[in-house]
Amino acid sequence: MKILLAEDDFASRKFMDKQLSRYGECDVMVDGEEAVDAFLMALEDDEPYDLACLDVMMPVMDGYQVLKAIRDIEAQRGIPKSKGVKVIMTTALNDERNVKMAFELGCEAYAGKPIDVEKFEKVLNKLGLI
Amino acid sequence: MAEEFNTESMLDMFLYESGQLLEKLEGIILEKQDADCFDDADINEIFRVMHTIKGSSGVLMYENITKVTHKLEDVFYYLRESHPDDVPHTELVEKVLAVSDFVTGELDKLKNGDTPDGDEHQLVEDLDEFLGRLKGEITKQGIQMPQANKHEEPKQFYITPVAGDDSHFYRISIHYRSDTQMSNIRAYSATYALKEVAEDLLYTPDDILSNEASGDVILAEGFHMLLQTKSSKEEVISLIDSSEAEEINFDELTKAEYGKALAEFGREDAVTIDLGDEQKPEEKEKKKDKPAPGDYVVKTKEAGKGKTLAKHQAKQQTIISVNVEKMDALMDLIGELVIAEAVVLQNPDLKVPGLELSNFQKASGQLSKITTELQEVIMSMRMMPLTTVFQKMKRIVFDVSRKLDKDIELEVIGENTEVDKNIIEHITDPLMHLVRNSVDHGIEENAEDRTSLGKPAKGKITLEAKNEGGKVYISVKDDGKGLNKDKLYQKAMEKGLIENKQISEFTDKEIFRFITLPGFSTKEEVTEYSGRGVGMDVVVKNIQAIGGRLDIESVEFEGSEMTLIIPLTLAIINGIVVQVGNSPFVIETASIKEFVRVGEDSLIHEPSGEEYIVLRGECYPFIRLNERYDLPDSIHNVEEGIVVVLEHEGSQVCVLIDKLLQEQEIVVKPIPPYVKKVKGLSGCTQLGDGSIALILDIAGLLMHDGERR
Repeated sequence: MKILLAEDDFASRKFMDKQLSRYGECDVMVDGEEAVDAFLMALEDDEPYDLACLDVMMPVMDGYQVLKAIRDIEAQRGIPKSKGVKVIMTTALNDERNVKMAFELGCEAYAGKPIDVEKFEKVLNKLGLI
Repeated sequence: MAEEFNTESMLDMFLYESGQLLEKLEGIILEKQDADCFDDADINEIFRVMHTIKGSSGVLMYENITKVTHKLEDVFYYLRESHPDDVPHTELVEKVLAVSDFVTGELDKLKNGDTPDGDEHQLVEDLDEFLGRLKGEITKQGIQMPQANKHEEPKQFYITPVAGDDSHFYRISIHYRSDTQMSNIRAYSATYALKEVAEDLLYTPDDILSNEASGDVILAEGFHMLLQTKSSKEEVISLIDSSEAEEINFDELTKAEYGKALAEFGREDAVTIDLGDEQKPEEKEKKKDKPAPGDYVVKTKEAGKGKTLAKHQAKQQTIISVNVEKMDALMDLIGELVIAEAVVLQNPDLKVPGLELSNFQKASGQLSKITTELQEVIMSMRMMPLTTVFQKMKRIVFDVSRKLDKDIELEVIGENTEVDKNIIEHITDPLMHLVRNSVDHGIEENAEDRTSLGKPAKGKITLEAKNEGGKVYISVKDDGKGLNKDKLYQKAMEKGLIENKQISEFTDKEIFRFITLPGFSTKEEVTEYSGRGVGMDVVVKNIQAIGGRLDIESVEFEGSEMTLIIPLTLAIINGIVVQVGNSPFVIETASIKEFVRVGEDSLIHEPSGEEYIVLRGECYPFIRLNERYDLPDSIHNVEEGIVVVLEHEGSQVCVLIDKLLQEQEIVVKPIPPYVKKVKGLSGCTQLGDGSIALILDIAGLLMHDGERR
């Protein structure tokens, strides 16, 4: 599968890249804007991403903005919900209201950092990605 | 800190909500335990509770909780849709309680940072079997089977962060030798080495790479780091290159101190570590609003500025609006404020004759009013209703009476009575013990024993709380067999717990109090719940520790009543300051009956050295405080001093003092532990002029007096 990873912190990026590369090809972005660009580019090329892992605290655009942008683009292009990219937020912001907001914005899962790898895999499984 | 209300982490929120729902559930169950069946509203409510917990535990992926609640939800789904008759109600109640216990257990594990790994299989099987029977019953009764309960798998998931409770927090300061070259590069390599193990790292100065001048700062002030890591101290030390270092200071911090230190380091997000005071106001504003996309855009890094590894762990806190420690700290501060107020208002400088003070008096009146209000507010903030405690008692009566096969009804009065939170924590266990005792020992074994005495077959226990005169009364009353004085006396004699005296020499209350002696248990057989002879003495000790006492009333064959009498609040009292010799003492105003001057002829001297005072024909024990506490330079002649009549629980005692000083609000401070416990003194306080006064404990004086006799 094709994976988009947006994460500005080097150590986290390296860790996530290593984890995600086991499941498929992983493109790594360092800020929110790049992530949206990459997402658009993949749509143009008709090779959309299956999974996007978004950090929240990033330069230029934060993870919530990226999520919103992705869902807006999908809606605009008439991509049905079931066909959309699965989004997992990966962040240390674990406040209930942040999590709820992300769910409302339409992410599939919200992973608190430090990430529980075992559960992360379970979720991928439940989302039908692996 | 208003933010604390809503910056709780997802997990805390789940724990809190589920806890609340379960409490509600138990409430319903226990209320309806003796009914024939649940009514529609209850079934709906239980269904909803199970549905909610199932849903949220699904999102958080606690599968065992999800499975169990799912099954019970199913059961109530069928009850709701088909209304079958003849549902085995008691069994159903047990099932619901079993599920509630299971989930509570798992939540507790989560609270302690453990994995909820309880085995749900047995419970699920039991529920399945019950559900099977229920369905069979539905078919038999010819009711149309409803469509199977549709379950929607959660579509969104929350992955809880790895528990990070075992993180250590360190403050590390490195001072390099003054001739060290490129100390900034050395400092950076130290941070680099630590990044390997760091969960969070902050250092100052933070522009070490880009700013060469920072080297001088490091040499002059040292290089300071804050580190959060799972590694031990030794591991961390081994990572730091110490070759040029002159001195490395290494402090382990608590999480709270770490939060404070973060704020001192000037970190913007220090607010996530629970410290609001140092925040800039505009940030505070932002925090209060709902988060929105775009709130978390990271400002572009300035070249070379240190960036922290933003990997905070969610703080774990009880959800009760404010951390209790902070409340206690605030309470202490207000106590200090009251003292400081007295120091100002009673300042000796003000006593200069001829001083024009009318403006000062006005201002000080205002000040007093505010401090009094402040006290009242903090007191009311600490007040909590006894509801939850009483809820627990309901459960205990239910469990124990079923185990012992006794039919008991529990009546609860005044569960909304509010008491200080500290007190709630202290009375839960003692109260639990009293309730168990009543069920086990109080109520008769056989219903026949009751009916033959003309009592209803069903036993009754009354749990009552009320608030009176600054004290809280919590009583556990049963209509059981009561206490048998002869038996108590014999037992106490057998065990050698009392002096060799005739039973007639003891008052009823004294005899009842035997049951609070260590090593006393009247029940011949020890049951699972009580009768081991440890207990009542512990109850009394716990209650005394918070300044309360236990009152026992009993009439044989009619029942017993145990009453806990606890001060509403512990910290601030109204007192009268008196002087004996050179020492000031404080007496609680409420316990003073009167001040009198008596003549030498009112005194009665006993040969044993005891003295009594006769006032208006009544005889009271008389204590000379100066002799009791060996105070020199004090008045010996009764006619020159003042006699204070004190009352406590209906018994009186007179003490001799030199003179009255003033009336004042007294902030009670415990006597420091290095002073051996002195009988007759309950604490100390600071007076307006800064001197220390001791607080007289009337109960202690009386007790001491009694023992001496």
